[in-house]
Amino acid sequence: MRARSLLAGAAAGTLFILAACGGTSGGGNGGVDRNKGSKGNLTVVGQGFTESDVVANLYADVLSKAGYKTTVTKVSNTELVQKSLQNGQVAVAPEYAATYADELNTTINGPKAASVASPDLQTTLKALKTLANKVGLTPLDPSKAVDQNAFAVSTKFAKQHSLKTLSDLGRSKVPVILAAAAECKIRPFCQPGLEKTYGIKVTKIDQLGVDTTATKNTVAKGVDQLALVLTTDATVSDAGLVTLTDDKHLQNADYLIPIVNTKKLTPDIEKALNGLSAVLTTADLAQMNKQVDVGQMTAADVASAYLKTKGLL
Amino acid sequence: MAPSVTPALCPGTDWLCGKYITARRSDIVLALQEHVSLTVGAVLIGLAVAFGLALLARQARWLETLILGGSTVIYTIPSLALLAIVVPLIGLTRSRLAVLFGLVLYSLVILVRAFVTGLRGVPPDAVEAARGMGYGPVRLLFRVELPLALPAIMAGLRVATVSTVALVTLGVVVDHGGLGNLLQEALDKSYRFEALDAALLCIALAVVADLLLLAIQRLLSPWRRRSAVR
Amino acid sequence: MNLPRQVASWLSDGSHWKGSDGVPAQLATHLELSGMAVGIALAVALPIGLWLGHVGRGGALAINISNVGRAIPTYALLVILFVAISATHRNLETVIALVAFAIPPILTNTYVGLREVDPEAREAARGMGMNGGQLLRKVEVPLAMPLIMDGVRIAVVQVIATTTVAALIGVGGLGRFVTDGFISNDPGEYGAGAVLVAALALTFEGFFAVLQRRVDPARRAGRRGGRVRAAPAEQTPVAALPAG
Repeated sequence: MRARSLLAGAAAGTLFILAACGGTSGGGNGGVDRNKGSKGNLTVVGQGFTESDVVANLYADVLSKAGYKTTVTKVSNTELVQKSLQNGQVAVAPEYAATYADELNTTINGPKAASVASPDLQTTLKALKTLANKVGLTPLDPSKAVDQNAFAVSTKFAKQHSLKTLSDLGRSKVPVILAAAAECKIRPFCQPGLEKTYGIKVTKIDQLGVDTTATKNTVAKGVDQLALVLTTDATVSDAGLVTLTDDKHLQNADYLIPIVNTKKLTPDIEKALNGLSAVLTTADLAQMNKQVDVGQMTAADVASAYLKTKGLL
Repeated sequence: MAPSVTPALCPGTDWLCGKYITARRSDIVLALQEHVSLTVGAVLIGLAVAFGLALLARQARWLETLILGGSTVIYTIPSLALLAIVVPLIGLTRSRLAVLFGLVLYSLVILVRAFVTGLRGVPPDAVEAARGMGYGPVRLLFRVELPLALPAIMAGLRVATVSTVALVTLGVVVDHGGLGNLLQEALDKSYRFEALDAALLCIALAVVADLLLLAIQRLLSPWRRRSAVR
Repeated sequence: MNLPRQVASWLSDGSHWKGSDGVPAQLATHLELSGMAVGIALAVALPIGLWLGHVGRGGALAINISNVGRAIPTYALLVILFVAISATHRNLETVIALVAFAIPPILTNTYVGLREVDPEAREAARGMGMNGGQLLRKVEVPLAMPLIMDGVRIAVVQVIATTTVAALIGVGGLGRFVTDGFISNDPGEYGAGAVLVAALALTFEGFFAVLQRRVDPARRAGRRGGRVRAAPAEQTPVAALPAG
């Protein structure tokens, strides 16, 4: 009897040790030790698509370098990201200035509030700062890297209906299934914008994610007709797709910008993230996305390799 | 200006990719660790709670009906919905706890039933005999009833563990799905090799856990073997 | 917490009950996918389980093989099938994944049900000159029916709950309300999705409870203590598995 309970105890003990060693998830730390910092814990959250995850890792690395312990997580629910940023559970998130300004605007002023984003960066920034401050957030310096939502169709589909622009697609009256993330249904520059500005008939959203391989392949194969991609994705044409021109300028130039919880913000954080924003360009971003999507590297590895070449690590 | 892109490890259409395993070893290990720790944590907590609920269920007929009925309702709730409900309540940075909570809840469906069935299956003669020998309720429970109920409990534990290993993957919606995180990447990027590797690891984990529990069961109930010899 | 109120208001909004994204349409898709999966699983698992149970050999092996089906996460199987076949055939991929999930309870319970038939009943039937087919039809299946039905019930309820997962690869069904609602942070929507799936599963649960009472007179007469039975532990008929 004694031997048996000893054994049971040992078994349970092993299990507990196994349970205890489960660390953080999501990607290796790619060269920087993110667990070492002494200035406190910071969580950076990406939104689960390549670019957002790369930038979240860039932020985490420079913050680790600045002496913080950092964790990167990702979740596709942007509202959850927003809530966690506001209550300080998450310290930093990479956002896009124009999109985020409008997102905050609808959160604060209701879903029918008029758009505050503008093609002019300074105008957008001003609006963004005012709105962000209302909910305890601080936008830091925007980077030089610009990204935009774009919509692509297969080359075959484009030829068949002679499409070059989104207006062409609207005029063609061809109903399309849009491969994108589910939230596209409610984002003003996604499905609602396509319908209102261009008169495009979106019959359904196929939830395959923003600019994922699955999204591109599905449209290339003709299962879906329209893909939500990003202008920083250099592989759209390789996938057999053409981007339709946004001739009515539905999309704003969207500068990547770190959004920080004001209570968590310190001069060190500000310096680290602004230092990164000062060097990050659109071409850099496109290159890093390609390293992940084509080179099959992890976002974490790509981020640290980039920071090393820029002397930021 | 920009440096050239490193060549891909393998075309996404390949089912096998040794380079992927080498290049991503640390990610795979992390995912595996999370998978194991969530499974073990959920099953251990589940065992403790199920034991308590089973003891409660013995107190009255209506309690048993309530507890077993409740567990039927739990298993009809889709786990994705459960996560969607719990995660916003406890916060993003604690979403791993939300996953754990969900897993515990689902393990109860099987474990409570196993305890109730096992304890009910104890021969009344054995209980009477022990009482006659002056066993109090606690000693009776731990020395007579539980050992006799062990086969049923262990059978339930094995099923619960295997199903928990499978369920962990759904934690991916909040980035805590263990190997499910790799599956998500495989889906987004259309990497066959990663999908296959992650799935095989899930199966391996389930099989290893099951065999381990089988071995423990054998060790804990030596009388079963002995009686076979006699 | 005002989740119940949000769910109620989502459900009572007429616009959610119309069109190709509406509740009736997604419910139809959900039932179609689940129904096909259970149908195929029945066609595969019942004959095998009956045959193995009848001859009384190879059952443990079959059960173990089918249990591997349980060890494969539905999500893993969906992803594998998705990258193996294509985005074009996602409904098919979903059905295959669900079939793998529905086979174990049906196969195990059928086999165990047949093996649990009293050997004396079998002997008596043989003594009356019944051949194998008659024995199976007239004695074994009727006596094993309660357990077989239990397996089917478990398969149906599990599949209904699990079909939800298909939404993760963009397939329709009630799971869409859960994933859409989560991503757009609409508690009313994902709450309603959960309620709808649970209600559907419980409806079938109730349906089977009534049906089982019909086929199992013993249950009607006596044991009213619920469904728990003292089963042989080594080969417990499959317990309900949460999965979706």
